Amino acid sequence: MRCDLSGRVAFVTGAAGAIGSAIAKRLAENGASVVVADVNLAGAEQVAAKLPGAMAQLCDIRSEASIDAAVEATTARYGRLDLLVNNAGVNTFANRVTIDSFPTAEWDRVTGIDLDGLFLMSRCALQPMLAAGRGGRIVNIASVVGLAAMRLQIAFVAAKAGIIHATRAMALELGPQGIVTNAIAPGSIMTEGTKALFYGSDGTFAGRTAEFMQHIPLGRPGTTEEIAEAVLFLSSPASGYINGQVLAVDGGWTAGFSP
Amino acid sequence: MSMTDDAAMTVDLAGRTYRLIGNDDAVSGAVAAALSANGAQASGSEADILIAATPLLPDSSETGVPLPAVAEIGRSMAAREGGRIVFLLSALGGLPMRRHVDYSAAMAAAVAGMRGLAMALGPHVLVNAVGAGVIEQGGELLAGDRRMLTHASLGRAGTIADITNAVLFLCDPMNTYTTGQLLTVDGGWSVGYGRNF
Repeated sequence: MRCDLSGRVAFVTGAAGAIGSAIAKRLAENGASVVVADVNLAGAEQVAAKLPGAMAQLCDIRSEASIDAAVEATTARYGRLDLLVNNAGVNTFANRVTIDSFPTAEWDRVTGIDLDGLFLMSRCALQPMLAAGRGGRIVNIASVVGLAAMRLQIAFVAAKAGIIHATRAMALELGPQGIVTNAIAPGSIMTEGTKALFYGSDGTFAGRTAEFMQHIPLGRPGTTEEIAEAVLFLSSPASGYINGQVLAVDGGWTAGFSP
Repeated sequence: MSMTDDAAMTVDLAGRTYRLIGNDDAVSGAVAAALSANGAQASGSEADILIAATPLLPDSSETGVPLPAVAEIGRSMAAREGGRIVFLLSALGGLPMRRHVDYSAAMAAAVAGMRGLAMALGPHVLVNAVGAGVIEQGGELLAGDRRMLTHASLGRAGTIADITNAVLFLCDPMNTYTTGQLLTVDGGWSVGYGRNF
Protein backbone atom coordinates (compact mmCIF):
# COMPACT_ATOMS: atom_id res chain seq x y z
CA MET A 1 0.00 0.00 0.00
CA ARG A 2 0.90 3.61 -0.27
CA CYS A 3 -0.22 6.52 1.86
CA ASP A 4 0.89 10.06 2.55
CA LEU A 5 2.72 10.48 5.85
CA SER A 6 4.61 13.57 4.76
CA GLY A 7 4.90 16.13 7.55
CA ARG A 8 4.38 13.41 10.17
CA VAL A 9 7.08 12.43 12.63
CA ALA A 10 7.37 8.78 13.65
CA PHE A 11 9.38 7.56 16.64
CA VAL A 12 10.32 3.87 16.31
CA THR A 13 11.97 2.10 19.24
CA GLY A 14 14.29 -0.83 18.68
CA ALA A 15 14.73 0.54 15.18
CA ALA A 16 18.26 -0.78 14.73
CA GLY A 17 16.92 -4.32 14.85
CA ALA A 18 15.51 -6.42 12.05
CA ILE A 19 11.80 -5.70 12.50
CA GLY A 20 12.31 -2.13 13.74
CA SER A 21 14.49 -1.15 10.80
CA ALA A 22 11.95 -2.61 8.35
CA ILE A 23 9.23 -0.54 10.04
CA ALA A 24 11.34 2.62 9.93
CA LYS A 25 12.06 2.06 6.22
CA ARG A 26 8.41 1.50 5.31
CA LEU A 27 7.26 4.62 7.17
CA ALA A 28 10.01 6.70 5.57
CA GLU A 29 9.12 5.38 2.11
CA ASN A 30 5.67 6.86 2.64
CA GLY A 31 6.93 10.28 3.61
CA ALA A 32 7.28 10.16 7.40
CA SER A 33 10.26 11.71 9.15
CA VAL A 34 11.50 8.81 11.26
CA VAL A 35 13.36 8.90 14.55
CA VAL A 36 15.39 5.70 14.47
CA ALA A 37 15.63 5.10 18.21
CA ASP A 38 17.64 2.31 19.76
CA VAL A 39 19.88 1.50 22.72
CA ASN A 40 22.42 0.63 20.03
CA LEU A 41 23.25 4.07 18.64
CA ALA A 42 25.74 2.83 16.06
CA GLY A 43 23.10 0.47 14.68
CA ALA A 44 20.51 3.24 14.64
CA GLU A 45 22.92 5.50 12.75
CA GLN A 46 23.41 2.85 10.08
CA VAL A 47 19.64 2.53 9.58
CA ALA A 48 18.97 6.27 9.65
CA ALA A 49 21.72 6.98 7.13
CA LYS A 50 19.69 5.17 4.45
CA LEU A 51 16.40 6.96 5.16
CA PRO A 52 15.80 10.49 3.88
CA GLY A 53 14.90 12.93 6.65
CA ALA A 54 15.51 10.40 9.41
CA MET A 55 17.57 10.88 12.56
CA ALA A 56 19.30 8.31 14.74
CA GLN A 57 18.65 8.63 18.44
CA LEU A 58 20.03 6.82 21.46
CA CYS A 59 17.09 5.59 23.52
CA ASP A 60 17.23 3.07 26.35
CA ILE A 61 13.60 2.41 27.24
CA ARG A 62 14.62 1.11 30.68
CA SER A 63 15.66 4.64 31.60
CA GLU A 64 13.26 7.55 32.04
CA ALA A 65 16.16 9.99 31.60
CA SER A 66 17.13 8.38 28.30
CA ILE A 67 13.53 8.43 27.07
CA ASP A 68 13.07 12.06 28.11
CA ALA A 69 16.22 13.06 26.26
CA ALA A 70 15.15 11.15 23.13
CA VAL A 71 11.71 12.72 22.99
CA GLU A 72 13.21 16.15 23.66
CA ALA A 73 15.67 15.65 20.81
CA THR A 74 12.77 14.66 18.56
CA THR A 75 10.71 17.77 19.22
CA ALA A 76 13.85 19.94 19.04
CA ARG A 77 14.62 18.58 15.56
CA TYR A 78 11.14 18.23 14.07
CA GLY A 79 8.87 20.28 16.35
CA ARG A 80 6.34 17.48 16.68
CA LEU A 81 5.76 13.80 17.32
CA ASP A 82 2.76 12.15 15.63
CA LEU A 83 3.38 8.43 15.74
CA LEU A 84 5.02 6.13 18.25
CA VAL A 85 5.90 2.56 17.33
CA ASN A 86 6.74 0.63 20.49
CA ASN A 87 8.81 -2.06 18.84
CA ALA A 88 11.76 -2.57 21.21
CA GLY A 89 11.66 -5.84 23.07
CA VAL A 90 13.66 -8.86 24.17
CA ASN A 91 12.95 -12.51 24.85
CA THR A 92 14.57 -15.23 26.89
CA PHE A 93 17.11 -17.37 25.10
CA ALA A 94 19.54 -18.74 27.68
CA ASN A 95 16.95 -19.41 30.37
CA ARG A 96 14.40 -21.64 28.62
CA VAL A 97 13.03 -23.20 31.79
CA THR A 98 9.64 -23.58 33.47
CA ILE A 99 8.38 -21.06 36.02
CA ASP A 100 9.52 -23.06 39.06
CA SER A 101 13.14 -22.35 38.21
CA PHE A 102 12.83 -19.15 36.16
CA PRO A 103 15.43 -16.65 37.45
CA THR A 104 14.17 -13.44 39.03
CA ALA A 105 16.82 -11.43 37.22
CA GLU A 106 15.59 -12.73 33.87
CA TRP A 107 11.97 -11.97 34.74
CA ASP A 108 13.00 -8.43 35.66
CA ARG A 109 15.09 -8.00 32.51
CA VAL A 110 12.38 -9.16 30.08
CA THR A 111 9.38 -7.50 31.71
CA GLY A 112 11.48 -4.40 32.44
CA ILE A 113 12.17 -3.83 28.76
CA ASP A 114 9.07 -5.29 27.13
CA LEU A 115 6.35 -4.01 29.44
CA ASP A 116 7.79 -1.34 31.74
CA GLY A 117 9.69 0.13 28.82
CA LEU A 118 6.55 0.39 26.70
CA PHE A 119 4.76 2.16 29.55
CA LEU A 120 7.57 4.65 30.17
CA MET A 121 8.08 5.31 26.46
CA SER A 122 4.38 5.83 25.79
CA ARG A 123 3.85 8.14 28.74
CA CYS A 124 6.69 10.39 27.65
CA ALA A 125 5.87 10.40 23.92
CA LEU A 126 2.26 11.27 24.67
CA GLN A 127 3.22 14.62 26.18
CA PRO A 128 4.01 16.42 22.89
CA MET A 129 1.16 14.57 21.13
CA LEU A 130 -1.42 15.70 23.68
CA ALA A 131 0.02 19.22 23.93
CA ALA A 132 -0.23 19.68 20.15
CA GLY A 133 -3.88 18.55 20.13
CA ARG A 134 -3.62 17.07 16.65
CA GLY A 135 -4.29 13.51 17.72
CA GLY A 136 -1.76 10.81 16.98
CA ARG A 137 -1.03 7.13 16.63
CA ILE A 138 0.55 4.47 18.75
CA VAL A 139 1.35 1.04 17.38
CA ASN A 140 2.54 -1.52 19.93
CA ILE A 141 4.43 -4.58 18.76
CA ALA A 142 3.16 -7.46 20.88
CA SER A 143 3.47 -11.12 19.95
CA VAL A 144 1.22 -14.08 19.30
CA VAL A 145 2.47 -15.49 22.60
CA GLY A 146 0.44 -12.72 24.22
CA LEU A 147 -2.64 -14.30 22.62
CA ALA A 148 -1.72 -17.99 22.91
CA ALA A 149 0.65 -18.93 25.71
CA MET A 150 3.83 -20.93 25.17
CA ARG A 151 6.08 -22.86 27.50
CA LEU A 152 9.56 -21.93 28.74
CA GLN A 153 9.31 -18.15 28.35
CA ILE A 154 7.04 -17.06 31.19
CA ALA A 155 8.33 -13.49 31.38
CA PHE A 156 7.96 -12.85 27.64
CA VAL A 157 4.49 -14.41 27.52
CA ALA A 158 3.29 -12.36 30.49
CA ALA A 159 4.84 -9.13 29.19
CA LYS A 160 3.32 -9.52 25.72
CA ALA A 161 -0.14 -10.29 27.16
CA GLY A 162 0.33 -7.17 29.26
CA ILE A 163 1.10 -5.14 26.15
CA ILE A 164 -2.07 -6.39 24.48
CA HIS A 165 -4.34 -5.37 27.31
CA ALA A 166 -2.45 -2.12 27.84
CA THR A 167 -3.14 -1.40 24.16
CA ARG A 168 -6.87 -1.72 24.79
CA ALA A 169 -6.74 0.51 27.87
CA MET A 170 -4.69 3.09 25.98
CA ALA A 171 -7.29 3.05 23.20
CA LEU A 172 -10.04 3.75 25.70
CA GLU A 173 -8.11 6.47 27.51
CA LEU A 174 -6.63 8.26 24.52
CA GLY A 175 -9.41 7.87 21.95
CA PRO A 176 -11.28 10.96 23.15
CA GLN A 177 -8.12 13.00 22.42
CA GLY A 178 -7.98 11.62 18.90
CA ILE A 179 -5.03 9.35 19.59
CA VAL A 180 -5.66 5.83 18.40
CA THR A 181 -3.70 2.87 19.73
CA ASN A 182 -3.44 -0.57 18.20
CA ALA A 183 -1.15 -3.57 18.42
CA ILE A 184 0.37 -6.02 16.02
CA ALA A 185 1.05 -9.53 17.21
CA PRO A 186 3.74 -10.98 14.98
CA GLY A 187 3.95 -14.73 14.70
CA SER A 188 7.14 -16.52 13.85
CA ILE A 189 9.26 -14.01 11.94
CA MET A 190 12.42 -14.95 10.15
CA THR A 191 15.29 -12.50 9.95
CA GLU A 192 18.81 -12.84 8.60
CA GLY A 193 19.87 -13.56 12.17
CA THR A 194 17.33 -16.33 12.76
CA LYS A 195 17.45 -17.97 9.32
CA ALA A 196 19.74 -20.72 10.59
CA LEU A 197 17.16 -21.63 13.23
CA PHE A 198 14.54 -22.28 10.57
CA TYR A 199 16.39 -23.87 7.70
CA GLY A 200 18.79 -26.77 7.55
CA SER A 201 21.86 -26.79 5.33
CA ASP A 202 19.82 -28.36 2.49
CA GLY A 203 17.47 -25.35 2.35
CA THR A 204 14.45 -27.20 3.77
CA PHE A 205 12.93 -26.62 7.19
CA ALA A 206 14.98 -28.15 9.98
CA GLY A 207 13.32 -31.08 11.82
CA ARG A 208 11.59 -29.34 14.69
CA THR A 209 10.76 -26.34 12.52
CA ALA A 210 8.97 -28.55 9.99
CA GLU A 211 6.74 -29.90 12.76
CA PHE A 212 6.10 -26.40 14.10
CA MET A 213 5.22 -25.07 10.64
CA GLN A 214 2.31 -27.53 10.50
CA HIS A 215 0.59 -25.25 12.99
CA ILE A 216 0.80 -22.30 10.59
CA PRO A 217 -1.73 -22.38 7.72
CA LEU A 218 0.62 -20.44 5.47
CA GLY A 219 3.33 -23.02 6.23
CA ARG A 220 6.21 -20.59 6.57
CA PRO A 221 7.61 -17.95 8.89
CA GLY A 222 6.78 -14.33 8.16
CA THR A 223 9.14 -11.61 7.02
CA THR A 224 10.02 -8.31 8.61
CA GLU A 225 8.50 -6.53 5.60
CA GLU A 226 5.15 -8.20 6.28
CA ILE A 227 5.14 -6.79 9.81
CA ALA A 228 6.17 -3.38 8.51
CA GLU A 229 3.26 -3.34 6.05
CA ALA A 230 0.76 -3.83 8.89
CA VAL A 231 2.44 -1.08 10.92
CA LEU A 232 2.17 1.22 7.90
CA PHE A 233 -1.57 0.59 7.61
CA LEU A 234 -2.18 1.21 11.32
CA SER A 235 -0.08 4.40 11.04
CA SER A 236 -1.90 5.71 8.00
CA PRO A 237 -4.80 8.14 7.69
CA ALA A 238 -6.72 5.18 6.24
CA SER A 239 -7.14 3.42 9.58
CA GLY A 240 -8.43 6.25 11.78
CA TYR A 241 -11.49 4.34 13.07
CA ILE A 242 -9.55 1.23 14.10
CA ASN A 243 -8.80 1.59 17.80
CA GLY A 244 -7.65 -0.90 20.42
CA GLN A 245 -7.30 -3.76 17.98
CA VAL A 246 -4.72 -6.51 18.09
CA LEU A 247 -3.90 -7.63 14.58
CA ALA A 248 -2.09 -10.95 14.50
CA VAL A 249 0.28 -11.08 11.53
CA ASP A 250 1.07 -14.72 11.98
CA GLY A 251 0.19 -16.68 8.86
CA GLY A 252 -2.98 -17.89 10.59
CA TRP A 253 -1.13 -19.53 13.47
CA THR A 254 -3.57 -18.32 16.15
CA ALA A 255 -6.70 -18.46 13.96
CA GLY A 256 -7.44 -21.95 15.29
CA PHE A 257 -5.93 -25.40 15.72
CA SER A 258 -4.30 -26.30 12.43
CA PRO A 259 -2.42 -29.61 12.63
CA MET B 1 -5.16 12.49 11.74
CA SER B 2 -8.26 10.72 12.97
CA MET B 3 -10.68 11.22 10.11
CA THR B 4 -10.54 8.92 7.15
CA ASP B 5 -11.10 9.75 3.53
CA ASP B 6 -11.32 7.82 0.31
CA ALA B 7 -7.87 8.88 -0.88
CA ALA B 8 -6.10 8.00 2.37
CA MET B 9 -4.40 4.96 0.84
CA THR B 10 -3.89 3.16 -2.41
CA VAL B 11 -2.97 -0.40 -3.25
CA ASP B 12 -1.85 -1.74 -6.60
CA LEU B 13 -4.47 -4.25 -7.72
CA ALA B 14 -3.78 -3.87 -11.44
CA GLY B 15 -4.29 -7.14 -13.26
CA ARG B 16 -6.43 -8.64 -10.49
CA THR B 17 -10.10 -9.45 -10.58
CA TYR B 18 -12.72 -9.39 -7.86
CA ARG B 19 -16.13 -10.83 -7.26
CA LEU B 20 -18.73 -9.76 -4.72
CA ILE B 21 -21.31 -12.19 -3.33
CA GLY B 22 -23.94 -11.86 -0.63
CA ASN B 23 -25.52 -8.68 0.61
CA ASP B 24 -25.85 -5.78 -1.81
CA ASP B 25 -25.88 -2.43 -0.01
CA ALA B 26 -24.10 0.94 0.10
CA VAL B 27 -21.09 -0.51 1.95
CA SER B 28 -20.53 -3.49 -0.33
CA GLY B 29 -21.09 -1.23 -3.33
CA ALA B 30 -18.43 1.16 -2.03
CA VAL B 31 -16.03 -1.75 -1.49
CA ALA B 32 -16.48 -2.80 -5.11
CA ALA B 33 -15.90 0.78 -6.24
CA ALA B 34 -12.74 1.03 -4.11
CA LEU B 35 -11.34 -2.20 -5.57
CA SER B 36 -12.04 -0.88 -9.08
CA ALA B 37 -10.47 2.49 -8.26
CA ASN B 38 -7.31 0.64 -7.21
CA GLY B 39 -7.04 -1.25 -10.46
CA ALA B 40 -9.00 -4.48 -9.94
CA GLN B 41 -11.67 -5.52 -12.41
CA ALA B 42 -15.03 -7.06 -11.64
CA SER B 43 -15.33 -10.67 -12.67
CA GLY B 44 -18.14 -13.21 -12.68
CA SER B 45 -15.96 -16.18 -11.86
CA GLU B 46 -12.40 -17.25 -11.16
CA ALA B 47 -11.73 -13.97 -9.40
CA ASP B 48 -8.52 -13.28 -7.47
CA ILE B 49 -10.42 -11.47 -4.71
CA LEU B 50 -13.74 -12.55 -3.24
CA ILE B 51 -15.79 -10.16 -1.11
CA ALA B 52 -18.44 -11.96 0.93
CA ALA B 53 -20.88 -9.32 2.14
CA THR B 54 -23.40 -9.77 4.94
CA PRO B 55 -26.13 -7.46 6.27
CA LEU B 56 -24.42 -4.96 8.58
CA LEU B 57 -27.51 -3.63 10.37
CA PRO B 58 -28.32 -5.86 13.35
CA ASP B 59 -32.07 -5.43 13.03
CA SER B 60 -31.88 -6.99 9.59
CA SER B 61 -34.18 -9.96 9.17
CA GLU B 62 -31.48 -11.58 7.08
CA THR B 63 -28.50 -12.84 9.06
CA GLY B 64 -27.40 -15.43 6.57
CA VAL B 65 -23.71 -15.66 5.79
CA PRO B 66 -22.90 -17.30 2.45
CA LEU B 67 -20.36 -19.70 3.96
CA PRO B 68 -20.90 -22.73 1.66
CA ALA B 69 -20.65 -20.53 -1.43
CA VAL B 70 -17.50 -18.89 -0.08
CA ALA B 71 -15.96 -22.27 0.72
CA GLU B 72 -16.62 -23.53 -2.79
CA ILE B 73 -15.07 -20.46 -4.41
CA GLY B 74 -12.20 -20.66 -1.93
CA ARG B 75 -11.43 -24.25 -2.91
CA SER B 76 -11.19 -23.23 -6.55
CA MET B 77 -8.84 -20.40 -5.53
CA ALA B 78 -6.73 -22.91 -3.61
CA ALA B 79 -6.62 -25.15 -6.67
CA ARG B 80 -5.31 -22.17 -8.66
CA GLU B 81 -2.83 -21.51 -5.82
CA GLY B 82 -3.84 -17.94 -5.07
CA GLY B 83 -6.60 -15.70 -3.81
CA ARG B 84 -7.93 -13.38 -1.16
CA ILE B 85 -11.25 -13.67 0.60
CA VAL B 86 -12.60 -10.80 2.69
CA PHE B 87 -15.83 -11.12 4.65
CA LEU B 88 -17.77 -7.95 5.45
CA LEU B 89 -19.08 -8.73 8.93
CA SER B 90 -20.29 -6.83 11.97
CA ALA B 91 -18.21 -6.04 15.05
CA LEU B 92 -20.95 -7.95 16.90
CA GLY B 93 -19.18 -11.08 15.65
CA GLY B 94 -16.49 -10.34 18.22
CA LEU B 95 -18.68 -8.97 21.02
CA PRO B 96 -22.38 -9.89 21.22
CA MET B 97 -25.08 -7.32 22.04
CA ARG B 98 -27.93 -8.09 24.41
CA ARG B 99 -30.43 -6.48 22.05
CA HIS B 100 -29.29 -8.50 19.05
CA VAL B 101 -28.82 -12.08 20.18
CA ASP B 102 -29.62 -13.92 16.92
CA TYR B 103 -27.63 -11.48 14.82
CA SER B 104 -24.62 -11.65 17.20
CA ALA B 105 -24.70 -15.44 17.06
CA ALA B 106 -24.85 -15.47 13.26
CA MET B 107 -21.89 -13.08 13.08
CA ALA B 108 -19.87 -15.08 15.62
CA ALA B 109 -20.53 -18.19 13.53
CA ALA B 110 -19.31 -16.32 10.47
CA VAL B 111 -16.10 -15.36 12.30
CA ALA B 112 -15.52 -19.02 13.22
CA GLY B 113 -16.20 -19.97 9.61
CA MET B 114 -13.77 -17.36 8.36
CA ARG B 115 -11.05 -18.67 10.67
CA GLY B 116 -11.74 -22.25 9.71
CA LEU B 117 -11.50 -21.39 6.02
CA ALA B 118 -8.24 -19.52 6.63
CA MET B 119 -6.77 -22.73 8.01
CA ALA B 120 -8.34 -24.95 5.36
CA LEU B 121 -7.42 -22.81 2.35
CA GLY B 122 -3.79 -21.98 3.21
CA PRO B 123 -1.08 -21.61 2.18
CA HIS B 124 -2.10 -19.86 -1.03
CA VAL B 125 -5.45 -18.29 -0.11
CA LEU B 126 -5.69 -15.63 2.62
CA VAL B 127 -9.03 -15.33 4.39
CA ASN B 128 -9.89 -12.40 6.66
CA ALA B 129 -12.84 -10.28 7.75
CA VAL B 130 -13.65 -6.68 8.49
CA GLY B 131 -15.90 -6.21 11.53
CA ALA B 132 -17.88 -3.01 11.10
CA GLY B 133 -18.95 -0.92 14.07
CA VAL B 134 -21.32 2.02 13.67
CA ILE B 135 -21.00 3.32 10.13
CA GLU B 136 -22.97 6.30 8.89
CA GLN B 137 -23.17 8.32 5.73
CA GLY B 138 -25.10 11.57 5.48
CA GLY B 139 -26.89 10.79 8.74
CA GLU B 140 -28.01 7.38 7.49
CA LEU B 141 -27.06 4.39 9.61
CA LEU B 142 -25.35 1.75 7.44
CA ALA B 143 -23.85 -0.61 10.04
CA GLY B 144 -24.12 -1.32 13.74
CA ASP B 145 -26.41 0.11 16.38
CA ARG B 146 -26.05 3.74 17.49
CA ARG B 147 -26.11 2.62 21.14
CA MET B 148 -22.58 1.34 20.54
CA LEU B 149 -21.32 4.92 20.24
CA THR B 150 -21.75 5.50 23.97
CA HIS B 151 -18.81 3.13 24.49
CA ALA B 152 -16.79 3.83 21.36
CA SER B 153 -13.84 5.83 22.69
CA LEU B 154 -13.52 7.87 19.51
CA GLY B 155 -17.03 9.11 20.24
CA ARG B 156 -18.23 9.18 16.66
CA ALA B 157 -19.46 6.91 13.91
CA GLY B 158 -17.15 5.60 11.25
CA THR B 159 -17.44 6.28 7.54
CA ILE B 160 -17.75 4.02 4.54
CA ALA B 161 -14.12 4.87 3.72
CA ASP B 162 -13.06 3.41 7.08
CA ILE B 163 -14.46 0.08 5.89
CA THR B 164 -13.26 0.23 2.30
CA ASN B 165 -9.72 1.08 3.43
CA ALA B 166 -9.66 -1.89 5.80
CA VAL B 167 -10.75 -4.11 2.90
CA LEU B 168 -8.03 -2.64 0.68
CA PHE B 169 -5.43 -3.44 3.36
CA LEU B 170 -6.64 -7.04 3.48
CA CYS B 171 -6.28 -7.18 -0.32
CA ASP B 172 -2.91 -5.38 -0.29
CA PRO B 173 -0.41 -7.40 -2.36
CA MET B 174 2.26 -6.49 0.21
CA ASN B 175 0.17 -7.70 3.16
CA THR B 176 0.88 -11.39 2.71
CA TYR B 177 1.13 -12.92 6.20
CA THR B 178 -2.25 -11.87 7.62
CA THR B 179 -4.89 -14.60 7.53
CA GLY B 180 -7.70 -15.72 9.82
CA GLN B 181 -8.11 -12.22 11.24
CA LEU B 182 -11.18 -10.22 12.18
CA LEU B 183 -10.08 -6.62 11.71
CA THR B 184 -12.62 -4.69 13.72
CA VAL B 185 -13.32 -1.12 12.64
CA ASP B 186 -15.43 0.24 15.47
CA GLY B 187 -13.67 3.23 17.06
CA GLY B 188 -12.78 1.14 20.10
CA TRP B 189 -16.31 -0.06 20.94
CA SER B 190 -15.46 -3.73 21.46
CA VAL B 191 -12.21 -3.10 23.32
CA GLY B 192 -13.54 -2.57 26.85
CA TYR B 193 -15.46 -0.07 28.92
CA GLY B 194 -15.44 3.38 27.34
CA ARG B 195 -16.33 5.05 30.63
CA ASN B 196 -14.41 6.36 33.62
CA PHE B 197 -14.91 4.07 36.61
